[in-house]
Amino acid sequence: MPAPASNSAAAVWAILRKECRSEWRTRYGLNAALLFAVASLTSVSFAVGQLGERTDLLSALFWIVLLFASLASMSHAFVREVEGNTMLLLRLVASPTEIAMGKWLFNLLFLIVVEVVTVPLFMVLMGAPSPDWGAFLAILALGTLSLATSSTLIGAVIAQTRGRGALFAGVSLPLLLPVLAAAVGGTRAQWVGQGVDAELRLLAAYAVALLAMSLLLYDHLWED
Amino acid sequence: MSVATASAPQVVCEGLTHRFGSRVALQPLSFEANGPGVVAVTGENGSGKSTLLRIAAGLLRPSGGRFELRSGGIASPAATRFRHVGLASPELGFYEEFTAREILRFAAETRVLSEPAQAASRALDEVGLDSRADDRVSAYSSGMKQRLRLAFSLLHDPPLVLLDEPGSHLDEAGRAIVRQITERIGRDRLVLLATNDSREMDLAGTRIELRGRGLGDPS
Repeated sequence: MPAPASNSAAAVWAILRKECRSEWRTRYGLNAALLFAVASLTSVSFAVGQLGERTDLLSALFWIVLLFASLASMSHAFVREVEGNTMLLLRLVASPTEIAMGKWLFNLLFLIVVEVVTVPLFMVLMGAPSPDWGAFLAILALGTLSLATSSTLIGAVIAQTRGRGALFAGVSLPLLLPVLAAAVGGTRAQWVGQGVDAELRLLAAYAVALLAMSLLLYDHLWED
Repeated sequence: MSVATASAPQVVCEGLTHRFGSRVALQPLSFEANGPGVVAVTGENGSGKSTLLRIAAGLLRPSGGRFELRSGGIASPAATRFRHVGLASPELGFYEEFTAREILRFAAETRVLSEPAQAASRALDEVGLDSRADDRVSAYSSGMKQRLRLAFSLLHDPPLVLLDEPGSHLDEAGRAIVRQITERIGRDRLVLLATNDSREMDLAGTRIELRGRGLGDPS
């Protein structure tokens, strides 16, 4: 018998708060993510200067920085639990779906915090043209949603496997490629004054499909 | 074992077996236990005691057979059995950056208990950790972590309590606490106690001996 929705929401909320508190105390992911973002943007800035009107390079670089700054931390959210023997604790207090939803919300929040620092830094250091804010933020929001959803699913899938490293790369590529392609295309399109409807639809559909698939999968992932 | 009461749980195990790949972790096992009471599960290392407890907690899907927990006449499906079970296992780890009180409060909030702070304080008090409740777990000794595992298993007052080697790492005072707790919860709950310690076995009214070959049966 599934738990009442209010109980599940309370469990997800408790897990989200635990994740935030843990991250705040250990800075396990945030420092590494911000270090990567600042170091990579500064290095590119020193090497090639401001990219100005090269919107193709700008949009690719923007999403590469966001992806690599956040992916390692987000997809290892479950691995840390397994390696610290705390996955058993979590599984004794919440269902797999509640655990995954708490982690997913944390990953969303994590990505937003990384973006709050990275986006202004990117605009200044790369000399990016002023974006069409409505389209840019819509692409950013849906890209963030898709990235958080896919990295949570990847993390959950690889957590209890032995060949995590190899599996991580193998599972990540097909799941992340559609997100990156649509996000890079949409970001570039808004800079050159084109419409972004197709990219927005693709990102939204992908995020919803991934989330629905995740919700169906989570309760069966960790059955030994 | 005591006569079953309406609220006390009943465990039914029929032909239960588990394999990890080709290795047999639990030989086919059948028994029925009606709470309240304490049932000792004994056997050599690798005979399947911990595997049985993990199946009982709903953490492992058995390779064969059936494990059923009935509480108040209602069977708990494996997927939600964790709500009705408390498990203290040596494999249970804690967040080193949190205090014991924070961990139990988190567990109580996730279990949606009505008074999480009070439930955490009560459980910590029962295992004698109240004076160190606000220390981070990273500063805990292995014995203190074992006490915290016991507190974690009692937090939500479950009908079925699964204790896996509960006396390990504990000093005499800690072992006395295990005895007190086991006797108390055994009066109105069901306890499955996996142990090879003769002092802990004496707490049980019934004993189930697992007869695997030990260290895992390769057949």
